[in-house]
Amino acid sequence: MEKRPLKVSSGSAASNTPASYHATDEKVRRIRRLSNDLVSITADQYGGSNLRSISVSSDDEMIDITTSGTMTEHTLGDHHHGGGGACGVYFSGGESLVSVDSDEIPGIGQYEDFHTIDWQRDIARDRMRHRYIVKRKQKSICDLVRGAHDAWSGWLCVLLVGLVTGGVAGVIDIGASWMSDLKFGLCPQAFWLNKEQCCWSWSSNETSIEDSRNCSQWMSWSEIIAESNTGAGAFIVSYIFFIAWALLFASLAASLVRMFAPYACGSGIPEIKTILSGFIIRGYLGKWTLIIKSVGIMLSVSAGLSLGKEGPMVHIASCIGNILSYLFPKYGRNEAKKREILSAAAAAGVSVAFGAPIGGVLFSLEEVSYYFPLKTLWRSFFCALVAAFVLHSINPFGNEHSVLFYVEYNKPFMFFELIPFIGLGIIGGVIAVIFIKANLYWCRYRKMSRLGQYPVTEVLVVTAVTAVVAYPNPYTRMSTSQLIYLLFSQCGTVKDPLCSYQFDPTLNGSGGLKPGEGLYWAVFLLILALIFKLVTTVFTFGMKVPCGLFIPSLCLGGIVGRIVGIGVQQLAFNYPHIWIFSGECSTGECITPGLYAMVGAAAVLGGVTRMTVSLVVIMFELTGGVRYIVPLMAAAMASKWVGDALGRSGIYDAHINLNGYPFLDSKEEFTHTALAADVMQPKRSEPLSVLTQDSMAFEEVEAMLKETEHNGFPVVVSHESQYLVGFVIRRDLNLAIENAKRTMTGLRNNSLVLFTTSPQSPLAPHSPPPLRLEKILDLAPITITDQTPMETVVDMFRKLGLRQTLVTHNGRLLGIITKKDILRYIKQIDNEDPSSVLFN
Amino acid sequence: MSLSFHQLFVFGVILLSCVLYVQGQSYEDARCKCVCTYKNGTRLVKKLRVTSVPLSNDCDEVAGPVEEIVHGNTTQEMCSRCECTYESRNTNIIKFVVIIVIWVISLLVIYMLFLICLDPLLNKRVKGNYVEHTNDDVSSREFKIIDDISSSSQAPGTSHPMGMRGSNVLNRVGHQQDKWKRQVQEQRKNIYDRHTMLN
Repeated sequence: MEKRPLKVSSGSAASNTPASYHATDEKVRRIRRLSNDLVSITADQYGGSNLRSISVSSDDEMIDITTSGTMTEHTLGDHHHGGGGACGVYFSGGESLVSVDSDEIPGIGQYEDFHTIDWQRDIARDRMRHRYIVKRKQKSICDLVRGAHDAWSGWLCVLLVGLVTGGVAGVIDIGASWMSDLKFGLCPQAFWLNKEQCCWSWSSNETSIEDSRNCSQWMSWSEIIAESNTGAGAFIVSYIFFIAWALLFASLAASLVRMFAPYACGSGIPEIKTILSGFIIRGYLGKWTLIIKSVGIMLSVSAGLSLGKEGPMVHIASCIGNILSYLFPKYGRNEAKKREILSAAAAAGVSVAFGAPIGGVLFSLEEVSYYFPLKTLWRSFFCALVAAFVLHSINPFGNEHSVLFYVEYNKPFMFFELIPFIGLGIIGGVIAVIFIKANLYWCRYRKMSRLGQYPVTEVLVVTAVTAVVAYPNPYTRMSTSQLIYLLFSQCGTVKDPLCSYQFDPTLNGSGGLKPGEGLYWAVFLLILALIFKLVTTVFTFGMKVPCGLFIPSLCLGGIVGRIVGIGVQQLAFNYPHIWIFSGECSTGECITPGLYAMVGAAAVLGGVTRMTVSLVVIMFELTGGVRYIVPLMAAAMASKWVGDALGRSGIYDAHINLNGYPFLDSKEEFTHTALAADVMQPKRSEPLSVLTQDSMAFEEVEAMLKETEHNGFPVVVSHESQYLVGFVIRRDLNLAIENAKRTMTGLRNNSLVLFTTSPQSPLAPHSPPPLRLEKILDLAPITITDQTPMETVVDMFRKLGLRQTLVTHNGRLLGIITKKDILRYIKQIDNEDPSSVLFN
Repeated sequence: MSLSFHQLFVFGVILLSCVLYVQGQSYEDARCKCVCTYKNGTRLVKKLRVTSVPLSNDCDEVAGPVEEIVHGNTTQEMCSRCECTYESRNTNIIKFVVIIVIWVISLLVIYMLFLICLDPLLNKRVKGNYVEHTNDDVSSREFKIIDDISSSSQAPGTSHPMGMRGSNVLNRVGHQQDKWKRQVQEQRKNIYDRHTMLN
């Protein structure tokens, strides 16, 4: 490391006033301004003075270097607001350097598995890189092009993400619907078509609607094997085939997941939430996860399990976002920037899952994203748009819509119907809480007991039970999406016992609502289906196959809503003289049970996930009717209230808590009166491991790395004074030492390790060359005093995305608070086991 | 390893060409779906009529004849209304996608069977080779660092150049595979044994 860094000051201290920040997030800006005083004092006093002593090179010199050697940019002072001198761009003519934004030591700026990222550091790194590119823009055409490419690479990246997501979603939709129908039969002349597509242009003569379901081109397994379609034998053959296919698909899904990508199991949304809040899970968004999750979700949906592909679609889209972001070093190498792409990808995932682009953007904003500046909002919008467009042009269902259960609605609703809608919201909230509690209990049991050791067996048993119980009931036999479609649709467009009304000619006008035998039977079957779906979903969600929650909860709510809708309709039909039904609605014709199903579905989904705005938008994009926003809003709100009153958190937060992911929820308030000194590490009478800026030998540093397991070390002026200089991350220190061992000659055990460019005492004449590590030193760590209330500290962690903060007392370093300490503290005061936090 | 991939590839191509050759009855890509409502006696009856139309046409022309037929068949026809929608699809895309899906699943299953059955046998040879590296403390650390870097950049094309170790492709593929296996092993440990994640 015999390079002479030339410092080019990027601006005077005056230009670094808070007003010039480029951060878009208003909150971040505000808090940063608050904390600026603290930081700048620290940096000015200890760090800034060191840097200012370096000479400033002229522009000519810089051009010389530009043309003669490769350039490296290095960010020294991470937080450029930390005092005027603390930020600078370092250029060094080097020989082994690759690209503009690579650091000198490979791997710096990356994080290890299960670590949290330092948002401030990454954003500052990106700002440095950006400034460097802007500066070079005038130099040559090539640099101009490079600058332009840098400027549009964010949009290009989300465009690609949208295109690929749309394509993958199309493949999954087509594949899943084909495989689902494989359980029932085959289209012998064109095996790649599912039942609906097989009979697509079948009836050349006019037929009544009931006939359209059995076309001659589609052959069920009983027809193929036993050459009959009716009778007990045919039923048994079909039953056996149904179970066999289900078991085959489920075992394939479970074993593929186990073999190739265990991270592909589950819904993925709790983990995406955690990752977006700044956590690293290596391989969670990798290409194997993408492949196995896509294939696995097709298989597990086809197996007839009570799960949906909508939640995993968010995970799949995030995988695509992660993989494609590596094409653009700006995003691929900067974890904080990468999360902007991931937010947009999550929006695209919901956009293709429901054919609801706006709903996707709002879902990303409301549910999954942590840091969501306006720039990301626009990119998410664009990404969702592209993905929805691609999926629409693939047209996977042949119905010109991106979801199987799209229904077109245009019937008005009555004012008094708001009462049953709110009632549905309450029922939905109750069902959701029951579901969350039961599911969490079961997941905890699975985690703690021997059951967790048999993941594949568990999947097979649940599949077998599901298939055996589901087949006899026509409503559970069909795929969940089809059931939702049936529940949502109006009578007349589909033929089902649900619409079997008797016609009574004695009633004038509309005698068509007298319930037939079929209707009672259908409602009975629906109640059975409701119980069955509720129970199986509790056991299914959390199994080691890809599984989502949206579809089952929509289905539960749909069933409840449809039953309530039929009830209200019959009420209006039988008692037309009650005052609320009088007027337009005296015949009961005005009540549409399908609308109730929709509202109920929204209520249960809202209760389970605690979404509000995005849920309503998704629902109305699903139905294409703006008219129903008010009923949906009423139901979603009622369901959220009931849910919040009965249970603490939504299913995703509950699962985050169960797994102990380090997720600092920005929705919850911290209401305890602790001070920073209570939470800080080390506790009293324990020593704090620190490095000194210019008096430690190489072997001492190595010994400290071996003895301790801290993820970073504060650097102080000397052990006696404990005045803070900066902060070094363990990983960076390790990498720098490895690098020095490889490249630096004359490195001995007693070489001094310098974290400053101007050591206080000059080096002895015959001492070995010192190891200069000032480049990896963060000169502007966020500091607080020991009397800072924890509310403020937690706020700083949430809004600034900190990884750690240093605690000082009278200007001397006292201790450190990391995100882990805060999460453990929160768990402790909530009377939970603090060691359950997953963290390194 | 690459040999088996090659074989799988050839197998896949044969499968694909077989499938493309077996052309079933041609399925139209456009249709008109008309739901006609008319009164038979006093009750409403709905009939469905599906007609295939050439791609360029839309349903306007189809709706007329349908109405006539309905007229002809019913005696006490009061009013009949047909709601026709033009729908289109692309069977080629469906065929292509389904075949790709079958292909991918069978590839994965074959690879899985390979890893379960054959790989333990083949790996005995590779093991000896591998121990040499881990004996050396410095090089194993270096190894770990490079692992970290390349595992963090998972996209194809940005992988870290590993010129220092065996430069031929086969070695590199083998190395990548080993690295991947270790990662999957780690994931399995997290999820199935320790239950720290994704419960």
